[in-house]
Amino acid sequence: MDPEQVDEFVMGYLKKKGFNSAAKHLQESLHNNNGSTFSSIDYHNDPELNKLIRSFSQSENDPSRYREGYSKLRSWGYNSLDLYKHELVRVMYPVFIHCYMDLVGKGHTQEARSFFNSFRKDHEMVHLRDLQKLGGVLAPSHLQEMEFARSLRQSKINIKICQYSYDLLLQYLHRTESTLMLGIINEHINFQVYSGQPNSASDDIEAVTIVGSFHETADHVNQKEIHWGLLEDSLEDRLEKTGGLLSDSEKGQGESKAGDMDDSKKRSAEIGKQGSSIKKLKKDKAGTATTKVARQETSTVLSSMPRVKPELAMPVMSTDVEESILEDLRNRVQLSSVAMPSVSFYTFVNTHNGLNSSSISHDGSLVAGGFSDSSIKVWDMAKIGQAGSCGLQDENNQTVGLNGRRNYTLLVGHSGPVYSATFSPPGDYVLSSSADTTIRLWSTKLNANLVCYKGHNHTVWDAQFSPFGHYFASCSHDRTARIWSMDRMQPLRMMAGHLSDVDCVQWHPNCNYIATGSSDKTVRLWDVQTGECVRIFIGHRSMVLSLAMSPDGRYMASGDEDGTIMMWDLSTARCITPLMGHNSCVWTLSYSGEGSLLASGSADCTVKLWDVSSSTKLTKAEEKNGNSNRLRSLRTFPTKSTPVHALRFSRRNLLFAAGAISKPSS
Amino acid sequence: MGIVPKETIEVTAQSIGITNLSPEAALMLAPDVEYRVREIMQEAIKCMRHSKRTTLTASDVDGALNLRSLEPSYGFASGGPFRFRKAIGHQDLFYTDDREVDFKDVIESPLPKAPLDAGVVCHWLAIEGVQPAIPENATLEVIRAPADNKIYEHKDGPLIDVRLPVKHVLSRELQLYFQKIAELTVSKSSPALFKKALVSLASDSGLHPLVPYFTNFIADEVSRGLNDFLLLFNLMHVVRSLLQNPHIHIEPYLHQLMPSIVTCLVSRKLGNRFADNHWELRDFTANLVSLICKRFGNTYITLQSRLTKTLVNAFLDPKKALTQHYGAIQGLSALGHTVVRLLILSNLEPYLSLLEPELDAEKQKNQMKSYEAWRVYGALLRAAGLCIHDRLKVFPNLPSPSPSFLHKGKGKIINAEPRKRKLSADSSENQPPHKRLITTDGPDVLRPHDHTGPAPMHVDKPIGNYNLPQNSAQPSSSEQASDGESRNGKEKERGKSRAITMKAILGQIWKDDLDSGRLLVKLQQLYGDRILPFIPSTEMSVFL
Repeated sequence: MDPEQVDEFVMGYLKKKGFNSAAKHLQESLHNNNGSTFSSIDYHNDPELNKLIRSFSQSENDPSRYREGYSKLRSWGYNSLDLYKHELVRVMYPVFIHCYMDLVGKGHTQEARSFFNSFRKDHEMVHLRDLQKLGGVLAPSHLQEMEFARSLRQSKINIKICQYSYDLLLQYLHRTESTLMLGIINEHINFQVYSGQPNSASDDIEAVTIVGSFHETADHVNQKEIHWGLLEDSLEDRLEKTGGLLSDSEKGQGESKAGDMDDSKKRSAEIGKQGSSIKKLKKDKAGTATTKVARQETSTVLSSMPRVKPELAMPVMSTDVEESILEDLRNRVQLSSVAMPSVSFYTFVNTHNGLNSSSISHDGSLVAGGFSDSSIKVWDMAKIGQAGSCGLQDENNQTVGLNGRRNYTLLVGHSGPVYSATFSPPGDYVLSSSADTTIRLWSTKLNANLVCYKGHNHTVWDAQFSPFGHYFASCSHDRTARIWSMDRMQPLRMMAGHLSDVDCVQWHPNCNYIATGSSDKTVRLWDVQTGECVRIFIGHRSMVLSLAMSPDGRYMASGDEDGTIMMWDLSTARCITPLMGHNSCVWTLSYSGEGSLLASGSADCTVKLWDVSSSTKLTKAEEKNGNSNRLRSLRTFPTKSTPVHALRFSRRNLLFAAGAISKPSS
Repeated sequence: MGIVPKETIEVTAQSIGITNLSPEAALMLAPDVEYRVREIMQEAIKCMRHSKRTTLTASDVDGALNLRSLEPSYGFASGGPFRFRKAIGHQDLFYTDDREVDFKDVIESPLPKAPLDAGVVCHWLAIEGVQPAIPENATLEVIRAPADNKIYEHKDGPLIDVRLPVKHVLSRELQLYFQKIAELTVSKSSPALFKKALVSLASDSGLHPLVPYFTNFIADEVSRGLNDFLLLFNLMHVVRSLLQNPHIHIEPYLHQLMPSIVTCLVSRKLGNRFADNHWELRDFTANLVSLICKRFGNTYITLQSRLTKTLVNAFLDPKKALTQHYGAIQGLSALGHTVVRLLILSNLEPYLSLLEPELDAEKQKNQMKSYEAWRVYGALLRAAGLCIHDRLKVFPNLPSPSPSFLHKGKGKIINAEPRKRKLSADSSENQPPHKRLITTDGPDVLRPHDHTGPAPMHVDKPIGNYNLPQNSAQPSSSEQASDGESRNGKEKERGKSRAITMKAILGQIWKDDLDSGRLLVKLQQLYGDRILPFIPSTEMSVFL
């Protein structure tokens, strides 16, 4: 190429990019030196550089280059060696969405659209929901406005790739001189190259979820220390204390055993407190019956869990309530994969599509429904039960209802659809949240509204009492979750950090943490005392709708819009295994009293029981071996076209379920 | 372009009074409108999810607008889906079907019924992990007969325990239900209602406690009402519905039901001999019997053998009436082709010789008797024909014969029309078969012909081995066919291994061919042409 021509190109490029002073300098030096001596790199005679410069000077804005570049890369990727293909194909998705966003950002709406439509099929399998969101982005301003797009633009995506695949990719990009693709890849992808053979295609889900800058922060956040142990001096402890008297020798033995367990636990160093507070192993000599033995086993499991002190001032429980709870716990049925629970189903009838939420009190005697007409209705099933035992007699009750006497308590006060209504643990209060941005506290004894908590700026999606009452957590469309106490009008803590609506909230059994599920497809764990985010759980592919914490405080289950349930280990923030089986929204999850079973209720009109006991006994080694298939679906109970809205294991391990019957659409 | 074309923007602009919207502006606005719409829909879906629904409603969209602090769209939240109508003359213009309502009409019309108030109904979805069979619960998988499920059921135990209390304390609803059904069955007054009742019987869960009552009822009514044709038919329909109901575990009651069913199949007299079409009832019951055997034959091994014994006794007893024979034959033929081959075909010759005098119009003067005999003859023919048809179909698919073969086969099928008892008795059923093949002119007059004329076919026929006498033609023609096949096979795939397997298969076919060939020949001798419609065309080309 003619040197002057090259100079011209360089000039043109600099001018176009607005580097005016650089252009001026270049011009000056060209004039002074007649274009041959000023540069240490002889760019005039280097053909590679020439080409590069030429490609830069080519029509920068030509939108067809994106399609060309991408389709070349794509066909190369799909034709590559099978062994490395999935790793290379994984690169396609970020390149694809960034090509699209580049095109949109430059204002080529038409081209962007046709580009998007011609290649979206490739990624729909995994990224359907993201693509649906992105499909709406049509103008540069939308890129700025849309949270999702912005976070994608600002952050780099981490992709694990093996050395060979990486080399292949680089070779390809250099050989074909697709600087555009190279640019995109450099700008938006952060390769984590590892040596050795490529991983199998299916093993890491994380590799394909793109959640903006989450991964780094998540990795950082997840380093923090959490104490997932149960509260010391909890009712379970007291149950053990009252359960049997220990002779001195047994006591000593128990302690030494507990000590052994401590040593074997890797986490014992992390949790400083538990050494002293570990409760003694209980030996009940009278316990010969098999159920009792079984109970002992589980209670030893529980008692081997570390104990932590509450960070909040805990409410004092009246002795009556405490006694009744202890009585319940003593009479708890032991559930396992061979001993299934009984399920009592409360069917809402004639709701005319107006039932937004429902919940069941801890003893199953009260059922509350939050309706879209701003009302809350509370049914006292114990009373209905008195009028005639379960079953067919209920219809008689309904006729009573029809005759003018309502058989429920109507709570009116909200001015928008009620999205949650939950009972306090003893069942004396109802907490409701609504689209009118308020949370209201109702007394089931007085049948009246006690307090209206204002603080959220948008619809409050969910509100939940802490396991010991008094405190409650709420979450909202304003992307925050808040902690309240019943006696204050203002929230005590505010948890901000989710990138989209916070859809559900759940307390950790030791009251020191809350978990929140969000439309940004993550679940976060927050420290109640500090208000900090201590864990981020990434893995869901759609909005998280339901959460449940295992009674031992070690695991969490979360259900999403697609019907996937994920079991998480709180300490590592890893997903133990996804539980697949539902094919529609998982509205509700509940652990059985001793944590061996997980019940899930879904919009596909089924209640499923999952065996999760094996996983809680997983040793570290087994975890590493990746025995993820230990969790299994035990039983499926189909209902008669009734989506399951709420589930609750009573303290005695009877499972209550609730849902509104939906007429099959005709 | 996107889902919102610029025309939409222009139309909207016009509708709100902006007439001078430039096309560029519309073009710019369109993508933004689409983005906003998507945004609203995204929020609306959130609202829908939080309302625990899976269908989007207008109120969800209102909720979404609310979230965005926008004015909701009033007047749409009446519930129910919208009806969109296509504007006539425009391809893609739709409007909501919103008809005008006269104010006077609204005022004058009586108040609509108040909607029912919300309520909560409680039931057991499961008891210790097992779903009880109550009407509130959905279809159960547990209550099924298959043997492999049995252990599973036993392990879960309390199925029987669940049923026992219900059996003794029959709820009022079930009592009423039973009375109503019984009434409908006996009264025969409203067939439409009865039909609905049958559907209910066949599909409702929770009817299980009634099964013993129904079995009793059926047994009583059958023994009482042998002269009442319609009643019997209704009862059999009830049995069928009970069998069809997936929620009913009918197996333990089968031994009570079977006698009634068999009665309806082989009884001497069912209803009026002349007026009622008791043949139809027998056919229906025969199907029922086969249904039962298919379903419970595996679990009740003695069921089929006992049944066949009863039926064969009825069939082979010359003292029994022809109607009984008919029922027995129908029942046996419904039990499957093996039964037919072993029990009917082996006795066919002596039986037909017994039947012959009855068939002959000259010898048998009693019109009714003759009619019955023809009926029986038809049933026999059908049983034998279906059997041979099945037998021939069992062979692995033969490579399709050459076109000329096929053509001839077809020609034959058309020729051989079923003529059951329409033929006069002197029709040449005992004619030698080979003769019949060649001289097809005689009965031809009666048959519809879609060929242009019989003449070319006659010319065709002598080609090949067709004019050989049937008995000797059989093996030779099949041999020839086999040769042709193996040649074909070799031509198709020249692989040696293929050829070997081909040979093995051909050997098997050859053996089977001989077997069923003989059978066919025998049948042909007994029935003449009437058996031909049952023989598939390709096989026909091989054998005849």
